[in-house]
Amino acid sequence: MRAGRFAGLIHVAALAALAAAPSDAQAQAPPPPAPATSTGESAVRVRGFFEVGGRTFTASKSFEAVLGSSSGAFFGAGGEVLIGRNLFVSFGVSRFQSDGERVVVFDDEAFPLGIATTVKVVPIEISAGWRFGDPQRSVIPYLGGGLAWHKYTETSEFADSGDDVEFTKAGFQLLGGAEWRLGRWFGIAGEAGWMSVPDAFTEPTGAAAAFGEDDLGGAVFRVKVVIGR
Amino acid sequence: MRFFVRVSGPVAPLVLVLAAAVGGLSTLAAQQPERAGLKQIISDVTAPAIDRGLRSADAPRPAQMAATRRWVDGSGGSAYLPNSFIVRFRPGTSAALQQAMLAQVDGTAGPALSYADFQVVTLVGGENPEAVAQRLGAQPDVEYAQARYRVRPMFTPSDPLYTLQWNYPQLEMERAWDINRGGSSGVIVAIIDTGVAFRSAVVRYNGIAWQREDGVKFPALGPVDVPFAAAPDLGADRFVAPRDFIWDDQLPFDFAGHGTHVAGTVGQLTNNSLGGAGMAFNVRLMPVKVIDTEWDFIFNSPFIGTDDTVARGIRYAVDNGAKVINMSIGRGGAPAPAVQSAITYAVSHGAFVAVAGGNEFGSGSAERLAEFAPQIDGMVAVGATGRDRLRAGYSTPGSFIELVAPGGDFDRGGSPAGILQQTLDLDLVETFAGPVSRYRAPRFDAFAYYYFEGTSMSTPHVSGLAALLMDQGVTSPGAVEAIMKQTATDLGPKGRDDEYGYGLINPRAALRGMGLAK
Repeated sequence: MRAGRFAGLIHVAALAALAAAPSDAQAQAPPPPAPATSTGESAVRVRGFFEVGGRTFTASKSFEAVLGSSSGAFFGAGGEVLIGRNLFVSFGVSRFQSDGERVVVFDDEAFPLGIATTVKVVPIEISAGWRFGDPQRSVIPYLGGGLAWHKYTETSEFADSGDDVEFTKAGFQLLGGAEWRLGRWFGIAGEAGWMSVPDAFTEPTGAAAAFGEDDLGGAVFRVKVVIGR
Repeated sequence: MRFFVRVSGPVAPLVLVLAAAVGGLSTLAAQQPERAGLKQIISDVTAPAIDRGLRSADAPRPAQMAATRRWVDGSGGSAYLPNSFIVRFRPGTSAALQQAMLAQVDGTAGPALSYADFQVVTLVGGENPEAVAQRLGAQPDVEYAQARYRVRPMFTPSDPLYTLQWNYPQLEMERAWDINRGGSSGVIVAIIDTGVAFRSAVVRYNGIAWQREDGVKFPALGPVDVPFAAAPDLGADRFVAPRDFIWDDQLPFDFAGHGTHVAGTVGQLTNNSLGGAGMAFNVRLMPVKVIDTEWDFIFNSPFIGTDDTVARGIRYAVDNGAKVINMSIGRGGAPAPAVQSAITYAVSHGAFVAVAGGNEFGSGSAERLAEFAPQIDGMVAVGATGRDRLRAGYSTPGSFIELVAPGGDFDRGGSPAGILQQTLDLDLVETFAGPVSRYRAPRFDAFAYYYFEGTSMSTPHVSGLAALLMDQGVTSPGAVEAIMKQTATDLGPKGRDDEYGYGLINPRAALRGMGLAK
């Protein structure tokens, strides 16, 4: 009889265990599809960003001669589409502008002429890449590459019709960085990239020609403020 | 040593006689040892210079300043402002109809303008103003519509004889002067020549007896007091470190008018409502006399114009601050290593050198002071073009010619096809060119405007441009040469050739230099 009472206790315990068992079992099994609003891991997510950064031009002598520096700041904005856990496609527009003066170049030396000139570079970039690791982690490194169309404008004092320069040239880029998630809808990314825009400077009369530089690309460093999940 | 010039003007008929005299005197002078003639300054002050030049009734025109703005290149080559245009409706067109037509092109009429019988319309839709104007202009109620084309400010000198100086418009100097208004006093241009009419004085000389090449004998004048004055259109207070290597003093008076004419092209006072214009009219001028002419011989100068004199003059100019050296002189014969060495010295010390390419077309004679120009960065040998931009008939071609500039060509256009500048009144200078009965002491205080031709006249255009470039900040002679060549307007066969070198100088393009891309 005592055994029977124990047997009854065991049975109750077994029932209790069975009642408790489903929760443990669910923790080890693959999760069922969850609503997008609860986990943030929908198949496609769209985000926006603002960016500021600096770029150093490959045609360093030419930019140094005319603008006084081969690097400068830029700002821009764009959007990203995250596809699944790791794939992303990004597009953005940024703007670099700097003032300098026209020069005469001889024997790799530049003589400024005091004639004001303004150079503006507006790259329109499309890139794709891979975000590594768990999307829920706070730091997500990524790598990518893509195309960029650079709209180049150069205006100067005393320009006559046809003297100013405007062209658009395509190039490619490689990039890498990491994103820090600082909140549910907010993150910051640091990114470094390298662009090549060959055969951009083809006029034989410019400083770029005098220095034998034709590439409008260069290294890019940027900080992105990402808005979105 | 000779200078490269041909004269047209009041004494043109005497050119042949003069040439004969020059030839004879040069031969004699070349055989003379150094001598010691009389030269004694009697007075530093004389009556004001006499200007017998041409005058014009043209009213002076005010100079205008350049302006910059963002423009759009128009289909006809004229730039226009974006986002607006000009329209005039026909009288009687109702305000409502006007508004309706403007609305069709997304245009908004601006406020009424004073002194305007038209409206300036703002395009809010960003449409092309030229296209909109064309569309609107086709409407029956529209009298005209046009884009707001840029009207370029242009510095046009007020000098009354400027209209006769075709050489400057040919070089588009008005647009170049918009960029650099004649340089500044920080740049010194040395005129290595026959001297310059640079100051007033009365100087006593002793005129010796002599015989012209054609056999005519001239009696000794004895002591004569000769008046000098600064050429009115050069100004009197812009000369620096004058030096005379013919008389070995600081009084490089011009006895022939050549150096004064050349100095005028480099830097004749401009926009002063007097006479003509010069390329770099604000620079300082350094007269360095290294060429002797007839009166130097008659007055028995101690030195003559030989290679050593020229070489000394070049070195003197550099050591005394010249940044540009104009040499409208030359010779044939044997090579000139002393002069080449001096020019190398000049360039290595930061002075740009322009040398006349020679007036010996067809002679086969090498131009010895210019032939080494291609070997020296910062030295340019200059050929001459006429009013038609073709090589002047006399201009010596050769592998050493690097640039051309207007030098005039009487054979294609007569006297007005020459280069006009103020210089000595040759009627009062060349009294030895006619019969003995007209022979008397010269005056160097009267001036007139003469058309000259020669590479002597083309060279100072290059020197003037070099002075403007130096003033603009191009302090390397090699860089001055490089930008002149790069921006030159190619003439003749494509690319460099022996007649035009790299082409006709393009001052505006040279002064604009290089942008990053273009």
